[in-house]
Amino acid sequence: MSQPAGTAGRERAPRFSLGARFSPRGQQVLLSYLILLVVYGGCIAVSREFLSWGTMRLQLVQATFIGLVAIGETFAILIGQIDLSVPWTITLSAILGTNLAALHGQQWIAFAVVIAIGVAVGLLNTLGVFILRVHSLIWTLGVNLMLQGVALIYTNAAAPTTHVPALARFLALGNVGGMPMAFLVWAFFAALAILALGRLPFGRYVYAIGNRQPAALLSGVRLGRVHALVFILSALGAAFVGLMLSGYSSQAYLGMGNDYLLPPIAAVVIGGTRLSGGDGGYVGSIAGALTVVLLQAMLITLNVSEGARQVIFGAILLALASLFLKRGR
Amino acid sequence: MKLPEPARHSRRFAFEKHAGPISCAIGLIVIIGLYAVRQPMILSPFGLASLANASVALALAAVGQTAVLLTAGLDLSIGAEITLINCFAATTMSASGLGIAWVVAASLLLGLAMGFLNGVVVAYGRVEPLIATFCTAFIFSGAALIVLPRPGGSIPDGFATALTGSWGPLPCSILLLAGAVILVWVPVFNSRLGRYIVAVGDDAASARLSGLPVRRIELASYMLAGLFAAVAALFLAAETTSGDPGIGNIYTLNSLAAAVLGGVALSGGRGTVIGPILGSFVLAIILNALGVFNVSAFWQDFIEGLILMVVLGIGGLRVLRAGNWLALLRS
Repeated sequence: MSQPAGTAGRERAPRFSLGARFSPRGQQVLLSYLILLVVYGGCIAVSREFLSWGTMRLQLVQATFIGLVAIGETFAILIGQIDLSVPWTITLSAILGTNLAALHGQQWIAFAVVIAIGVAVGLLNTLGVFILRVHSLIWTLGVNLMLQGVALIYTNAAAPTTHVPALARFLALGNVGGMPMAFLVWAFFAALAILALGRLPFGRYVYAIGNRQPAALLSGVRLGRVHALVFILSALGAAFVGLMLSGYSSQAYLGMGNDYLLPPIAAVVIGGTRLSGGDGGYVGSIAGALTVVLLQAMLITLNVSEGARQVIFGAILLALASLFLKRGR
Repeated sequence: MKLPEPARHSRRFAFEKHAGPISCAIGLIVIIGLYAVRQPMILSPFGLASLANASVALALAAVGQTAVLLTAGLDLSIGAEITLINCFAATTMSASGLGIAWVVAASLLLGLAMGFLNGVVVAYGRVEPLIATFCTAFIFSGAALIVLPRPGGSIPDGFATALTGSWGPLPCSILLLAGAVILVWVPVFNSRLGRYIVAVGDDAASARLSGLPVRRIELASYMLAGLFAAVAALFLAAETTSGDPGIGNIYTLNSLAAAVLGGVALSGGRGTVIGPILGSFVLAIILNALGVFNVSAFWQDFIEGLILMVVLGIGGLRVLRAGNWLALLRS
């Protein structure tokens, strides 16, 4: 986003070559999984707890929330945009969904709210970013602020309920065949995202737009539709995560999405997707989501103060980024 | 073949360059006018000083942000820089003149050092500005929490009144802003460095091929941002007479918004200094006015977001002027 188009060569080899058997793309993905392994090793060095399935199960559930948001974020970053309206999309969908479902005593209403909010926020983002040509970094932050306002106004009129739809609770906390249900949900949507990027026309349009928008337009790609689809998918993911989070903590509260602004973006970037767009994919983002969650868990285990935790988290991310994620020259 | 029309082209270019500042100035007059209809006291020297005090911190942050935006960079750590320096000043400043001078000098150095870290990571570490400054923001705000875990600390009265009082008819805050711009911005941007900054932002590859020291120029822009963040933080400390480990949060988004309102291009190379300043005054006074117009606190975020989006959207309406999508994408 901040460099002239075309300088981020697609065929540029990563800093560390992992053998000629892999394409540059494959090497980048491999690198993100190596980072994950290193971080996991660090976790085990800090505490043997991380070897137990109970602990890792918890981390998988946490990673699901970040990973689901990262799907839409990967799409958005691939077309050279970014979606920063995630936190309050999460909160608003959780509060509105649980409240309206409790009010009418119908579970499906919560899911209808998720879809309605996802489509509405996605279209609003498309309006600003694609039609009015405002930079997505700033427009989506503005949308985020407005959604925060809507959530505040709504909770002022109606107190949040503690009655969460049973299905949301099952999606977040349930168990199917020893695996956490949340992780299965993530696996399902992750497979869809990888399929969409790799096999469907949608994926080719996304990469085409990210690489050179005028060329994509001249090749007949419907830019508006793809932008709208990307932003709607991103908002839908966030809204869905909101519902799952309300199930996870058995309540919806103001600010519950605040921790989901930058971790998903960090996950996408660690996964080897270039912020300038057109290069990357969701396979790496999965490793990125797990890495971010493990890092956070490791710092909590270290039992240091909140301030020191932030310093260490920032420093480790910075070290990872400067070691592995060079921008184009 | 039709020859280009240089005169007309340059006039249009000049308009594009000043469209942001001009529309901000008009917006500012309209807003102060509306404000004055509701609350005539605002046009008194005291009222104007209070408006200035509410806006100057954002203006300083926006000017710093602009220095980075001009090189096609981005500083998401500006709010965290403000927070850390604010907490540092509130915990260390003593009432003696020497104590104040020492803390002011140390704060400015701290700002430069944080900008230096950002610049090294972005320019020499080749990390994307977005992710690099996001990471350093974590580091700075974490350090602020270590320095001052919860709101507190104190600022000597002498320092507070020196920055927030009035000097004759002029509010000191305006003098501080003008001083920072005249002493730092104007010399830098009238020197070769300033032209290089714009050149790098316009086209980094060409700048490099022309032999400009692109890395050092990027580094300098982040240090400039850190310096302005330090001045903003010192002013905030004087205004609130205390430290707060959450005080800087809003300045990251608002400094970006003010710069964009003022006509600075996020893609780099285009912008003025007066635009972001006027943009900051527009934003800050709108937020300040919401209280006067009896807007419930619950509606404030919604209205703030809505105003931001409408203003940004109006700026984007040029899409209706472009002939077709292709011309638009290439512009």
